Amino acid sequence: MMRRFVFLVIATALLAGTAAYAHHSYGATYEVTKEIKLTGKLVQFVFRNPHAFVTMQAPDEKGVMQRWAVEWSGTTQLGQSGVNAQTLKVGDEIVVVGRPSRVPNEYRALMVTLKRPLDGFTWGTRAGEQVD
Amino acid sequence: MTKRYLRDLAVLLVVVATASIASLPVYAQPARTQNPPDISGEWILQSDEDPGALGELGQPPLGDYLGIPFNEAGRLRAETSAESLWGTQEYQCRPHSAPHQWRGLGGARILKEQDPLTREIKAYHVQFMRSLDWPIYMDGRPHPPAWAPHTWSGFSTGEWIGNTLKITTTHLKDGYIRRGGPQTTDMFTMTDYLTRHEDILMIVTVIEDPIYLDEPFIQSTTYVYDRTGITATETCNASAFAENGGTNRHHVPHFLPGQNTALTEWLKKEEWVPAEPARGGAKTVYPEYRGTFTGVTSAANLRVPSSRSSVAPDKTIADQAPKDGQVHILPVQENIYMLVADGTNITASVGPQGVLLVNTGAAAMTEKLQAAVNQLATAVAAAASTNKCAGPNCPGIAFGWSSPYINSVISSPTPPKPLRYILNTSDAPEHIGGNEKFATSGFYPRGGGLGAATGVGRSASVISHENTMIRMTATAGKPGGTPERALPTDTFFDELYKLPEYFNGEAVIAYTEPAANTDGDSIVFFRRSEVISAGNIFSTVSYPMIDLQKGGSIQGVIKGLNHILDLAVAEYRSQGGTWIIPSHGRLSDTADVASYRNMLVMIRDRVQDMINKGMTLEQVRAARPTLDFDGRYGSNTGSWTTSMFIEAAYRSLAGAK
Repeated sequence: MMRRFVFLVIATALLAGTAAYAHHSYGATYEVTKEIKLTGKLVQFVFRNPHAFVTMQAPDEKGVMQRWAVEWSGTTQLGQSGVNAQTLKVGDEIVVVGRPSRVPNEYRALMVTLKRPLDGFTWGTRAGEQVD
Repeated sequence: MTKRYLRDLAVLLVVVATASIASLPVYAQPARTQNPPDISGEWILQSDEDPGALGELGQPPLGDYLGIPFNEAGRLRAETSAESLWGTQEYQCRPHSAPHQWRGLGGARILKEQDPLTREIKAYHVQFMRSLDWPIYMDGRPHPPAWAPHTWSGFSTGEWIGNTLKITTTHLKDGYIRRGGPQTTDMFTMTDYLTRHEDILMIVTVIEDPIYLDEPFIQSTTYVYDRTGITATETCNASAFAENGGTNRHHVPHFLPGQNTALTEWLKKEEWVPAEPARGGAKTVYPEYRGTFTGVTSAANLRVPSSRSSVAPDKTIADQAPKDGQVHILPVQENIYMLVADGTNITASVGPQGVLLVNTGAAAMTEKLQAAVNQLATAVAAAASTNKCAGPNCPGIAFGWSSPYINSVISSPTPPKPLRYILNTSDAPEHIGGNEKFATSGFYPRGGGLGAATGVGRSASVISHENTMIRMTATAGKPGGTPERALPTDTFFDELYKLPEYFNGEAVIAYTEPAANTDGDSIVFFRRSEVISAGNIFSTVSYPMIDLQKGGSIQGVIKGLNHILDLAVAEYRSQGGTWIIPSHGRLSDTADVASYRNMLVMIRDRVQDMINKGMTLEQVRAARPTLDFDGRYGSNTGSWTTSMFIEAAYRSLAGAK
């Protein structure tokens, strides 16, 4: 009986998690122990599966303006935290903390937190708001 | 007799009677294959195998190759491949690679396709959350020829062996054994064994990649029947923006050898795992390997049984461009056909306006090619057909009267229209060898009216880039050189040349690819059929031939491949859509061209890095910058060897500094 219960719990957890698991490996894509901070203007917000992407123009560590692609969760998970296709607008000034790409000179990051100072919108600071 | 005895006896009788009744039909019918177990339905992954393989965040640890019988090439490829390759435009929506599908989350749906009359199962269809439909044909059809396209699901046939369904899959695209590093080439095959034990479905998968694995990689996966669940389906809406950031849409993420220092990070947390077997290898999968831990033996001295792949890679690759002296016809899309002539591909547009050829093959193949083209032209544009209407009011028939069909009845249908155009993508002998005979058999109306000169228009129009024409004229009229009548009649010198009007109902455009294999290469785009004839820029059986003396360069080839990728569009999930016909090898799509481009970018960057470090050509050769691709594209013999390719890459990059 106990074994059956354990199996059910695992199966339920797997089912519940299907929409959230990445198609690619985060650990292989990003430096999961490092963080970078990007401050700049949102130039594109693609709310889609398997993952939404925030594209922003922000300076790199040398101060050179770059076009950064920040990988976010899928639409289901974002929806559960109140984010929809209209949440962000082109031109928004945002502050992103993300995990950098493992590939040298790649302007890509995994979303950890996002803030929009203008209205105080934040993501990534409450329980459950993480890309997994 | 006790009451209990009577009850037991009754139960026994019921059991015997039931068994007897149940077995009656078996005796009553002629011998017939026993029905296999029903495997259709919704199944959910019971992830008991390889505990911990998912690691943190549900992802496999980077650099974990435990149990993978990698060879040196497979290990190097894994260690230099970047997971963010998923972010390139061509791969954003690709499904999981076939070996990972059974291990991917979201469940599996198995459907059975039955003949409505005989109820025989014609095919099973397996669907995962991130997959295209995977048909498994049960009707005994053969696997396609080697020059047919490869897909993400591959081509599968099945057969029941007792209660086990054996699935044999070939024609797979290159991908990965598991996420996060371990790659496969497109030469891998997969054999699945599905056995149902009540509500448990056990899948044993045998992956054979003779290029990257010293032995077959075997994994088992267990699924549980799911009475109420529905296998998840995840849509993917790729867009043109680059997921990897930056502004270079052709960016190919990868690591130089030794650059990815994160491969051993996971071992810091899993201290019990020794470093050496974590890198995989055939010896490490045998129990005898444990002796290396206790000092009984060393890995170098360890002898283990060998069960190398049954797939012979050299033959499998060569079969994509068979040097068999024959012409094989592969229908591609709309007007376009691929003719495989003794290992060289010719592209043919066949339709109501006649025939257009991109290249004409080697001279020795001309007669067979002409026969094949005539056969195609007749079948496609001039085939006899039966009269579907009688009398003077037949809709859809010229003049509304059925009598023209009498020509079909007396077996004298309208002949097909002749060859109108030949486009030469280069001056390579295997591409222009048939020019003379084909051109003179064709017809291109250049003159006309009352002032028409005798002979004008009595041959096909031959078109090439100006530099190609100049090279052909250099040998024209000389012994063994280009015959006068094989020379181009029209040339172009800038970035493109388009036929002045539709041909067979579509635009046909030749694009120059500067400084690629030579300084005169071009590709040809059939805009409505969605087919690109790539010429020598793309081959699935060798590294690109780069002729430095004729102005070629590795950068030019990569640029040409990127141009193809800019023109081409996948149909769905990085598969199909625009078809690309290589000069040699199998019919391909965007993902295949991307894979070839990625390979060249990795090699280019490695060679460039070595040049930047001051290494000589011989030092670069010794460092083997192509090691992980040599088994797939390299050669130690013939007219284009790996050594020559490395030299061409080195000199074109060193010269560019």
